[in-house]
Amino acid sequence: MRTIGLLIVDTFHEALARKIFWGLFALSTAMILFFLFLLKIDIVEGAMATISLLGQESPKRWQIDKLVRHVQSGIATFLYTWGMFLAVFASSGLVPDMLEVGRIELLLSKPVRRWQILAGRYVGNTLVVGCNIAYLVLGVWMILGWKTGLWPKAFLLTILFTLFIFSVLLTVVTLVGVIFESPAMATMVTVALMIMSPILAQRSLMERLLNSEWTRRIWRGLYWTLPKVYEVGRMTLDYVFDRTVSDYAPLWSSAAFGIAALAAALAIFMKRDF
Amino acid sequence: MPSDFAIETRNLTKVYRSLLGRRVVRAVDGVSLSVERGLSFGFLGPNGAGKTTFVKMLLSATHPTAGSALLLNRPAQDPNARRSIGYLPENHHFPTYFTGAGMLDFYASLSGMDARSRKRRIPELLDWVGLTGWENVRLSKYSKGMLQRLGLAQALMHSPALLILDEPSDGVDPMGRIRIREILRSLEEQGTTIFINSHLLAEVESFCREVAILHRGRVVLRGSVQDLTAGRGYRLRATAPPERVLDELRRSASETVIQDGWVTLQFPARDAANRAIDLLRRAGSEIECVTAASSTLEEVFVKTVGALG
Repeated sequence: MRTIGLLIVDTFHEALARKIFWGLFALSTAMILFFLFLLKIDIVEGAMATISLLGQESPKRWQIDKLVRHVQSGIATFLYTWGMFLAVFASSGLVPDMLEVGRIELLLSKPVRRWQILAGRYVGNTLVVGCNIAYLVLGVWMILGWKTGLWPKAFLLTILFTLFIFSVLLTVVTLVGVIFESPAMATMVTVALMIMSPILAQRSLMERLLNSEWTRRIWRGLYWTLPKVYEVGRMTLDYVFDRTVSDYAPLWSSAAFGIAALAAALAIFMKRDF
Repeated sequence: MPSDFAIETRNLTKVYRSLLGRRVVRAVDGVSLSVERGLSFGFLGPNGAGKTTFVKMLLSATHPTAGSALLLNRPAQDPNARRSIGYLPENHHFPTYFTGAGMLDFYASLSGMDARSRKRRIPELLDWVGLTGWENVRLSKYSKGMLQRLGLAQALMHSPALLILDEPSDGVDPMGRIRIREILRSLEEQGTTIFINSHLLAEVESFCREVAILHRGRVVLRGSVQDLTAGRGYRLRATAPPERVLDELRRSASETVIQDGWVTLQFPARDAANRAIDLLRRAGSEIECVTAASSTLEEVFVKTVGALG
């Protein structure tokens, strides 16, 4: 554990030095400041006034609640799209950089097991992004809570869901990084999966449109194999809006994909010659 | 029962195959090598001989196709075998986000060193390699020679019993080289086994006690530097004697060079050199000098590798 801890700290150290951590932190801070600015011009009061103009003397609590949840869902959507893309882009170099000639041999010459090196890198990277997600979500949650007096805890689940799907995508970044040692390739493959996710999610529509059974099978196969970024995002929004979530299959199937991709990355890394 | 060897390989082999298996390269071909504890050992070979692959197999950075390697009596693939090993890679690429002290601290902690020992050892080693005052400077500001010396400090942090150095003085200026040699000498005196993989034959000759020459993945020569470079005979220089004496000298000399009224003769053995001295003195020649001629390691290397083509 001590060795993994050291490698996690080193990954943090590298993320700080390469401005990856600070870049994400600056972006999160900009978002939070933007919110503070909106509150400064009393957008909440403005929205309340709009509701009043629509015929109600004073806005009811559930209307404020609805407004808050919409704002929170906007943040969650941002995190799932641009935030995720930025996090993947920022993380794409961390494995290939570690595998550079003259650096990996030195790591391997220490009394360290190969799986510890990759695990330390993976966990460290997840934590770098996790800290920023938590900072942004908690920041927005506190600002909105302070302004409206409403503290819906469901929004905080965004931290877990976003981090979960990022950790799944990071397994792809890691796998591609281990195989090709190319940050560009790692980004492209992972973003391609993110783009494919909402398309593959149109399962029932495609089942009707595809005219042969084998193409439907391929579609189903891809759907069940690849991570369900889109659906987990939808699930997060359901939680934010207090809607009932009945199907957890996107979660476990994405987790299964992540475990398989990470296991493949480990297996390749263990066998590779440097 | 533990052996007296720091490195022991048996039939160590690495074969690289292209993706479709059409091209096969035997980078290391059945190398069995034993390096005694406390010895300074030079591992030589032309480019592409397989030296670096051999070292990487010792460190488990490359998996052998066949054979085995023991480091300090432990299988090389056991991470604990690397606990007492210091390594300086060729073309090292230290992360530039580290400061000098930060880099030493990180790699030493990976080697299992506790915080207190690291704190004590870092200034000590920076001083040793002449980098005092640079501890808080980022590595991006270091010159190549400074990085090399820092790399050596990194390899020495945990006082390893076996030091594996791949081109240790690459990019280091002459003063730095002398300093590195001094450091290695003092480590050798303390009983550290030093395994040097280098192209700089003069450096290996001046420092190592034993060498092995690797050629096309095989060890083609192994021995002590003293034995390999000795025994080339005696060189004699005198004023040129008359032609009839020269003819007689040519019969016993392995090499005769006449230039500007001087003759330089090479004899394989001492008695032949003494007979030549008697002959020259009788003929009235003046002896300028007689020296025991030894080969340089470079000559041995060129002769060995050249003969194999």
